[in-house]
Formats: sequence, structure tokens, C-alpha cells
Amino acid sequence: MPLKPGLLQSLQQTLASMKLSIFVFLTLAVCSLLGTLLPQGLTEHELHSRFSPGMARLIELLGLHDLYHTGWFRFLLLLLATNLIVCTLQRLPKTVSQLKHRDESIEPEKLTKFIQHQVFDVNATLDQLKPRLQQVVAAEFAAIQPVENSEVFAGVVETGRWSRWMVYLVHLSVLLILIGALIGSLAGFKGFMNIAEGSASQEVHLYRGNQTITLPFAVRCDDFDVTFYDMGAPKEYRSDLTIIDGGKDVLQGSIIVNDPLTYNGVTLYQSSYGAILKEAEVEFTDKESGTAQRMVLPFGEAKTIPGTADRVQIVDYQQDMAQFGPALGIALQREGEPPKGSWILVKMPQFHGNKIDNYHINVIQTVDGYYTGLQVKKDPGVWVVYTGFIAMMLGIGMTFYSSHRKLWIWAGPAGSGSRRTRIVLAGRSNKNPVAFEKDFQRLCERLQTDLQPTGERD
Amino acid sequence: MMINSSLLLSITTFAYMVCALFYLAGVIFRYRPLLLSGSLLGLAAFLLQTVAILLRWQESYQLGYGHAPLSNLYESLVFGAWAIMLIYLIFEYRTGQRALGVFPSICAFLAMAYASFSPSVDARIQPLVPALKSNWLIAHVIACFLGYAAFAVAAGVSVLYLVRKSVKTNPHPKGIIALFPDPKQLDEFNYQLILFGFLWLSLGIITGSVWANSAWGNYWSWDPKETWSLITWLIYAAMLHARSVQGWRGTRVAWLSLVGFACVLFTYFGVNFLLSGLHSYATQ
Repeated sequence: MPLKPGLLQSLQQTLASMKLSIFVFLTLAVCSLLGTLLPQGLTEHELHSRFSPGMARLIELLGLHDLYHTGWFRFLLLLLATNLIVCTLQRLPKTVSQLKHRDESIEPEKLTKFIQHQVFDVNATLDQLKPRLQQVVAAEFAAIQPVENSEVFAGVVETGRWSRWMVYLVHLSVLLILIGALIGSLAGFKGFMNIAEGSASQEVHLYRGNQTITLPFAVRCDDFDVTFYDMGAPKEYRSDLTIIDGGKDVLQGSIIVNDPLTYNGVTLYQSSYGAILKEAEVEFTDKESGTAQRMVLPFGEAKTIPGTADRVQIVDYQQDMAQFGPALGIALQREGEPPKGSWILVKMPQFHGNKIDNYHINVIQTVDGYYTGLQVKKDPGVWVVYTGFIAMMLGIGMTFYSSHRKLWIWAGPAGSGSRRTRIVLAGRSNKNPVAFEKDFQRLCERLQTDLQPTGERD
Repeated sequence: MMINSSLLLSITTFAYMVCALFYLAGVIFRYRPLLLSGSLLGLAAFLLQTVAILLRWQESYQLGYGHAPLSNLYESLVFGAWAIMLIYLIFEYRTGQRALGVFPSICAFLAMAYASFSPSVDARIQPLVPALKSNWLIAHVIACFLGYAAFAVAAGVSVLYLVRKSVKTNPHPKGIIALFPDPKQLDEFNYQLILFGFLWLSLGIITGSVWANSAWGNYWSWDPKETWSLITWLIYAAMLHARSVQGWRGTRVAWLSLVGFACVLFTYFGVNFLLSGLHSYATQ
């Protein structure tokens, strides 16, 4: 069944109404506010440990812990966009016809009904004062466009006609920003990758949805460096990166915070870093034979203790193990036995737990390396958003600081057969009436003094 | 005694206090020369503060840090006071309304006093953390604070509007009220200031957004500060639409202007102290 035309019409009217815009503005404001008061991005577990069961259920039901990505918040944004489009479609034809409108005739009686109007007589004939009139008006506002009218002189002056379009530019800019954001969320991704110095990776862990994607190229971290100010605050984080595409090094660059690297639409940002163990020199003392062997163990690489068949490997590293300082997780692998392992405290060689089976283990020294934490992003919508930004600034600036001003001027004999000329002026501005009134008054004053024949002016 | 930026800023703080007192006394005793003294002292203090800010900038180079003095809570408070006085003095020059100086000068004094005397505000020149090392810093902070300052002056005008409006009949020609412009004019001032502030706030949000995209790869991440600046923007946007299309005037606009300014204050102070996020360095 088709909708009743009345219903459709009233729906359209609601969508086009300014009251709806104001309602959406304020609702968006209140909902955004709610999102800043409740912690965002909590996991289910955190949610239940922080709130009572009932409260947690309510938060989950409404998605308040991830408010800005919920369906209903997006619905509000959609409502804003719809309202904006419908408003524009409804007002655009009015603006067009307003701008197209040409005055066919100007009647002095109608001009005196304007809020801004003035009538005064000048002791000169129309032909005498006409050139001066045109000159003064052109100097103060713009050239008079004559309106065909017999016997008398009449015309309109318009400035800033384009200013009427600017509000549409602002509205377009909001739409562009929303569209750009949509493109970004549909065709882009955001995630992070941690790469140890000297190694390469293609895997990006996405922030949303706990997924991993594989880049069509690999990123190698050649070097990471962090420098500090004397007082201890970090000064700069720098990663030297190489992009490997198709087996070849195709791009090299170092990135710092605020200066990312882009390859094939994917941008890599310096976002965090961490220390990892690069290698350690470890001494294995066989308690039974008393022989000690010193070995350099690169992190994660298994090596055989000389003179034995035992293979050892550093499998884990903690910078501070239960407040006992750094610790190495070392695994021992023997033929035909399940692997054994233990935490070896680096700074406490006498610790009784520094052993696996028959070996007492002593860490002589450790060599630290870094891994760099990169934020990885692809957002094809960002240029649409930026275009929106530029349009918004242009639009807001010009909407507020320009106005469409229109003057109507009529000049004709003050009475039948009179040598005096009556001048009627009226004007209107779509914005800033106070400034317009000032300019209008100034024009009128200047006309009254300038148009008097030279003889009558002192 | 060595002339350095902190000495000049201390003098500025004191001068803003005296300036606020002049304006206040001028209004209370309806004595115009006091208002004029307020304006002149305000202008002098403003110029002194400008020198102090530039000096602090130079001092940061001498310390080897070299950054614009817009990087932490202390510097932003100082710059906020400077921006309020800048906007107000231009406004006063253009409108010739000296009696409106009470609110802005008190705001400027309070910002300076808080920056100088609160033990939790560190006045030392500190080096920039890596995230702040960007040319966007200057554009972003200046744009935001010009916006905030215009909203502060607008809030002052709104308060006056509400006071003025509550006096129903023609004001006594010798009463305090007679010093102030009529409500219609106040309403127009409020509107013009908010337009100006809105333009700068928009620019502030946009520059912040572009900066965030170049630093973190995210032009919008619903960080509390971002969200609150958007809330502020939405409220002023609602006000501008209500005024230009729905024809709202006067009292309702004045109240919306005050709500908007409350949001500005929360965006600036509340978010720093109550909510955590990307702008946490602003609390130090």
C-alpha cells in the first residue's frame, strides 16, 4: 500500500525542519558527552569486574562501552546527514529563484516599506545629477544596474550574491567529512605491528575485531633509536625502515613521531617501542663434572652446549621478574626427554633457582635490542575528509563575513513639472544588519551632500 | 635584577588584577575615567605580556629546547589570558564599549593567577615530548585559544545581557545599567563574537585533526578532548542555526552562549583533570 501523501509530506517536512537539526545537534552533543564519562573500549571481562551485573548488562545492551561505533550513534549521524540533504534540497530552489529574480519595475511607494529606506529631494534635474549619483553609489557599493522604467531613473545594486551559496558549501563540507569517514571505515584498516630491530614482518594486528591481515609487502626495521633529554624525558623515537616488495628493497626511510612513511597507500607511524633481548652470554656449569661452558645465545636460537648433546635456547625475556630484575627464560632440550625450562635471574647469580637439571646457569651479560611499535593505517577516505575541511573553513569564513546586500534606487521628478528630483533609496542585507545600516546611512549622507548643485553647497 | 619572562609575567598578573579592579570600580561608581584607566592599563599589560611570551620563547632556545611557549598547562593558561585580552581589546576598540571589560579582565587575571600561584602548575620551561614536535602545534593552539577567548568575551556579554534584561523598565539614567549598551546591541555583540569564535574553534578542531592524522594516523579517535571540543562546536552550531533560521534572539541565545562557554571550560580544564587521553601532557 502506498504511503498516504500526507504522511510522506509530513515526514519530508520533519526531515527538512530546522528544529530537527537543532535536536540532532544537541542529541549528538549529549550522547558524545556520555561516551566521555564512561570508559570506552573495555573488554567484556573488564566491564563485568567494574560494574554491577545489571549495569554491565545495560551498558552492553546499549553498547555504551563502545558508544561511537554503535548502530544508534551511527543512526544519529545518518539522521544529521539526511536532515542536511533534505534541508538543502528544499532551500536550494528558493535561493536560486531569489538570485534569478530580476526586478521588472521599481515603485517608490514599495521602497518606503523597507526597514532601511530614505527619501530626499535634490535641487537639480534628473539628467544633471544622474552621472554623480551613479558615481557615488558605485564608489560606496557597486555599479547600478538600471531597471527599464519610463521617464524616471531606477536601478538595483547588488553585492555579495555569491555569499548565499556559502552556507551550502559548509553543508557540503559536513557531508564530505562524513562520506570520507565512511570510505575510510569500509575500504581502510587500522592496526599495529611490532618489529624487532633487524627483522621484517608483513602481519598487521587490527585494532578492531581481533584480526590479523597480511600486507602485500614486508616492513623491515633496520634500526630503532630513542634519545632522551638530560632530565630524562624522551626526546625522539626514530625507526629506520625498509619496505621489501617482491623480494627487493624498494623504499627506505626513517620515521619519527609526526613524520610517517607511506607506501602504496599504507602509512606507517611511529607509535611505541619496547626493549627486547638481542643476545646473552650465558655460563652453564655442570654440577656433576664441574665443567663450565660460556656461550653467546642469540634470542630464540637453539645452540648445543659444547661437548654434550644438550641444546639450549633463550625462549623468553622479562625486564623485571617479580621485582627481582631481568630474567631469561631458558629451555633445555635433551634427546628423548620432554623439554625443561626455568627463569634465570640475570642480576642474582646466587639465586638457588638459577638451574635446570644438572646445570647451574649464570648470565654473564645481556645485550638489549629494541622492537619498534608501528601504527599501520590505510585510509583512502582521508582526502575526501581533508577536502571537506578546506570547504568548511572557506564556507564558514565566507558565510559569516560576507553578506548579500541589495539596494533599490529610484529617482524621478519631485512633483509634476518640478525641477527638483526626488530620490528614494531602500536596502536589505541577509546578514549583519547593524553594519549594513551604518553603510546605508553613510551612502545616503554622502548622496545628500554630493548631489546638491555646486552653487548650493557652501 | 635580571629581566626574564617570569618576572614580566608576574607583573602582568598584577597589572591584570588592577585592570580588573579599575573596570569594576568604574562600573560600580559609574565613573568613566576609571574605565578608561582600565582600558589603558589592560593594553599596557597586554603589550608587556606579549613581550614576556616572546622572551619565554627565546629563553627556551637558550635552554636548548627551542619551542613555542604553547606546550603545557602553564603556557596555555598564559596564552589563554593573552588571547582573551587581545580579543577584548580589539572588541572594545571597535565598539567603544568600555564597561564590558569587567568579565574579560577578571578572566585574564584568574588564568594568570592560577598559572602563577597554583602549586600543581609547573612554570618551568620543559622540553617537548616527541608527539608535540610539529608545526601544527602553533596553528592548533593559537586557533583553539582565539576561539576560546572569543567565547569567553561572548559569555561576559551574555551575562550582562541577562542582567540588563532583568531590569524591566527604562534604566535610571544614573544607574549602573545605563553604562551598558541596550539589550539589542548586546545580543548583536554576543552573536558577532560567537561567529568569530566558531570560525576559530572550527579551525582549531581541523588543525588538531590533521595533526593527529600525521602523528598517529587517525584524524579522529573520539579522545575525550576531541569529543568535548566537538560537543562545544555542536552547541554553538545549534545556537547559530537557531538564531539565523529559527529567529532566536536575546535570552535564549545568551543562555546557549553560557552553556557553550561552560563546555569550553570543561574542554579545557575538566578533560585535563577528570578524563584521560591524548592531551594528558596538558596537565603537567
